[in-house]
Amino acid sequence: MSVPARPKPYLDPQYCKGCLRCIEACPRGCLTAGTALNPATGLVPVELHLDNCNGCTLCLQACPEPYGLRLETDRPGPDGDFVLEDPAKLFGEKCVPNHSEGDLPDDRIALPPCAPMVLKGTYAIAIGALLAGCRHVYGYPITPSTEGAELMAKILPRLNGVFVQAVSEVAAVNMMYGTGGAGLPCMTFTSSPGFSLMLEGLSYLIGAEVPGVFVNIMRGGPGLGNIAPEQADIKLACRGLGHGNTRALVLAPSTPQEMLDLTVEAFALSFRYRNPVIILGDGYLGQMTGQVRLPGSMIRPGLPAWAVWGDRAHRHNLISSIALAESDLEAHNEHLNRKYAAIAACEQRVDCHRCGDAEVLVIACNTPARMAKGAVESARAQGVKAGLFRPVTLWPFPIDALAEILPRVRRLVVVEAGPGQLEDELRLALSHAGIAPPPISHVRRCGGILPPEAEILAGLLAPAEVRT
Amino acid sequence: MSAFYGRFSRHAHGEGLKAHSTHYCPGCGHGVAHRDLSAAIAELGIQDRTVLISPVGCAVFAHYYFDVGNSQAAHGRAPAVALGHKLAHPEAVVISYQGDGDLASIGLAETISIAQLGLPITVLFINNAIYGMTGGQLAPTSLMGQKTTTSPDGRMPAMGQPLKMAELIAQLDGPVYVERVALYSARERAKARRAIKKAITLQLEGRGYAFIEIIAECPTHLKMTPQQAEEWVKTKMVEAFPLGVKKDLTVEPWFQRPAPLFTPEAVLGLSGAEPCPEEEPRAPAPWPAHLPARDIAFKLAGSGGDGAQTAALLLTRAAIAEGYDATAIPSYGPESRGGTSYADVHIAEREVLNPAAPAPHALIAFNALSLAKFAATVPPGGFILYDSTLITAPPPLPAGRRILPIPFTRLAAELGRPMVKNVVALGALQAALPLLPEDRVLATLQHVLKDKPSLLPLNAAAFAAGRAAVGAAAPA
Repeated sequence: MSVPARPKPYLDPQYCKGCLRCIEACPRGCLTAGTALNPATGLVPVELHLDNCNGCTLCLQACPEPYGLRLETDRPGPDGDFVLEDPAKLFGEKCVPNHSEGDLPDDRIALPPCAPMVLKGTYAIAIGALLAGCRHVYGYPITPSTEGAELMAKILPRLNGVFVQAVSEVAAVNMMYGTGGAGLPCMTFTSSPGFSLMLEGLSYLIGAEVPGVFVNIMRGGPGLGNIAPEQADIKLACRGLGHGNTRALVLAPSTPQEMLDLTVEAFALSFRYRNPVIILGDGYLGQMTGQVRLPGSMIRPGLPAWAVWGDRAHRHNLISSIALAESDLEAHNEHLNRKYAAIAACEQRVDCHRCGDAEVLVIACNTPARMAKGAVESARAQGVKAGLFRPVTLWPFPIDALAEILPRVRRLVVVEAGPGQLEDELRLALSHAGIAPPPISHVRRCGGILPPEAEILAGLLAPAEVRT
Repeated sequence: MSAFYGRFSRHAHGEGLKAHSTHYCPGCGHGVAHRDLSAAIAELGIQDRTVLISPVGCAVFAHYYFDVGNSQAAHGRAPAVALGHKLAHPEAVVISYQGDGDLASIGLAETISIAQLGLPITVLFINNAIYGMTGGQLAPTSLMGQKTTTSPDGRMPAMGQPLKMAELIAQLDGPVYVERVALYSARERAKARRAIKKAITLQLEGRGYAFIEIIAECPTHLKMTPQQAEEWVKTKMVEAFPLGVKKDLTVEPWFQRPAPLFTPEAVLGLSGAEPCPEEEPRAPAPWPAHLPARDIAFKLAGSGGDGAQTAALLLTRAAIAEGYDATAIPSYGPESRGGTSYADVHIAEREVLNPAAPAPHALIAFNALSLAKFAATVPPGGFILYDSTLITAPPPLPAGRRILPIPFTRLAAELGRPMVKNVVALGALQAALPLLPEDRVLATLQHVLKDKPSLLPLNAAAFAAGRAAVGAAAPA
């Protein structure tokens, strides 16, 4: 019987785990169970008797190990390592254009001057995202954030973009993991219960360093709560982004204009730090219509070097949050901690109103900050030196700016449409900074009720409860 | 030909034997499936274009081995991640590789919903009837009677029957190709290779979603030798999970996505922005001296369909166009249609602070309920306008407010379109409480109707009718 001149199998015994699946595969009985322990592996590799082998390769297809049974022609080179063929030679002309190594930068495109727009808050965010270069939006309908997604569903197909109404928020955040991991800007609109569902995914995005913008138009909780505006997810956004060592920039707009401006900014920050960014609005901001001026330019996004894009230049990339070895995971956490420290040092933002000589300082964000501003004006009219300190970043809390103001301040009043989560952030920031604050009191309403200006004013003039 | 890395540098940093050996147990079906997938990628010449999504489960480390773009997904979410990659870069060849816990248990919603979308991605489902990485627990595909660590007495009826994913996916409309294959013999392995290659080819050609269920061996947790495990798959698993093609549609290539647009004209046009010539806007009119404050609140209250929201937005737009600050906030009842519909509007000379209107300077009530609910919130010196066509017996109204019963509905009906009663109301408000210059309000009306110019005369007439009615209204 003549033996065809096809290459025969080759086995480096140290890569054989001795499973013997190849034995049954061989129609000619060329393989037998081994008898000798391999000293390198402690396993018993299969033995080859190739006199009768015709190179059918069926044994190769039964072998579960990439470097187990291979063809003789694939024997490793003299350096002992395996040499792969040059993919260019192997696969010929590429039908996918290759991006050059390194980041492909964003293009900034000038916009003509436009008349001021009159926009609902969620629409302002959607238009901000379009101007920031976002063409991929994933989400699940939830009041009171849905209008933003609806506008995206209308506009994006006309820009050859994508809006996908996912089966759940869980799926939506993981679609963001995919598109963000491919290096493109993407976002979601959600509200409190939906944000809860996204937290697992957020932890993965943060762990794998995937950018993405999350708009949470907060509503009343816990549980199903109601759809009225409550600032009850500050804890989640600042302290509770899923499991593990997670942090994300949390931006708190207070006007329709800021809804747009901070959204544009959120995309830039998200890519600068390779980290999700959270925009926390309240139900009022989501629904409120007001004046919005457009910026002078828009973005055509580039492609970062780390993207898993699906071309040769990015083939070596990996988006992953798993690091099995403890030392690897510790090193990754230290890397994340350095990033968080950089964000905390560079990205604190605050809007101060009459803080220069303030003795009574109101701390408030989102819509309650607007009422607080009115109360500050009223207090000033009554001769009280009041000021408003409005954190625009809730994490990092703008503690540096507060530290400068505090020496003159006799009393802090935290105003919240929520159960005290902003006050917790304030107290934590003060504590971490080692600052002994003046007495802190608060004006709070829950359940979707905004603290009325009169209550804030009363709290400014005579605190109901002062805790230190 | 292979699509494996020449060196597994991610596997324990590529130290020692791990540089060329997998983490899989001896005889694991994953290894065989990996070699099949590697061969398909190499033979199709798509190594550069491939993005492989690794699941959670034993294949979590697939990215150690495949020299392609890699993304590692959360448990069960691989199809969602795959979709995100495919939509980001439609030219990429995206493969979701998942085990039975990942795909058929925790990820069922993603599995089914994304299969039903039918976008061309390739899902490879390794079904070995047991949880491997967590140590041998019951899988959704475990066989009846099968002993696992969480079914120590065998899978009982109350634990459900094994879930037949290939059949389930095949009955969806989205997929074009579904096949169940096995790895226990040379013949089945050859079919598996063909199926994987075909599934990827369908994606490459833009024909659609394909799902290959691969019945595989887990000798370790079956507590069998690899040979026994092959025999068990062949005799037991295949009985519960019949092999073969479950769906194979002939579909012409259809999937193509043009590149996203980033032209200012398109973005601005679709956003409703209007480029304007660079000229100084006209200075806002001086804040009217008759107003009690620099920030005036209005409440427009009625039922869905009364036009309260439209009127509120018109007022807001006109004020912003004038150069003031203004806000409008809607508030609805839980009904999608026909429930309460309120709007709070603020117009401020410089900045609206409190955008809610708990004590509006002017109330426009379109029905009796709204009038009864909000009349008392209007402070002394304020205005209460209500639709006297519908509210014929008004409740006692607070003293010290200017009460204006105006027949919004009748005046609108006289113009032939009862739905313009909200514009009648705005005309009445203009007469009762002139805050904005009238030409500004009319110009705004013209602007919002620019796409329906035929409606402008009607609306202008409604505004004029409301305006004229105030002079005629006898203070109540």
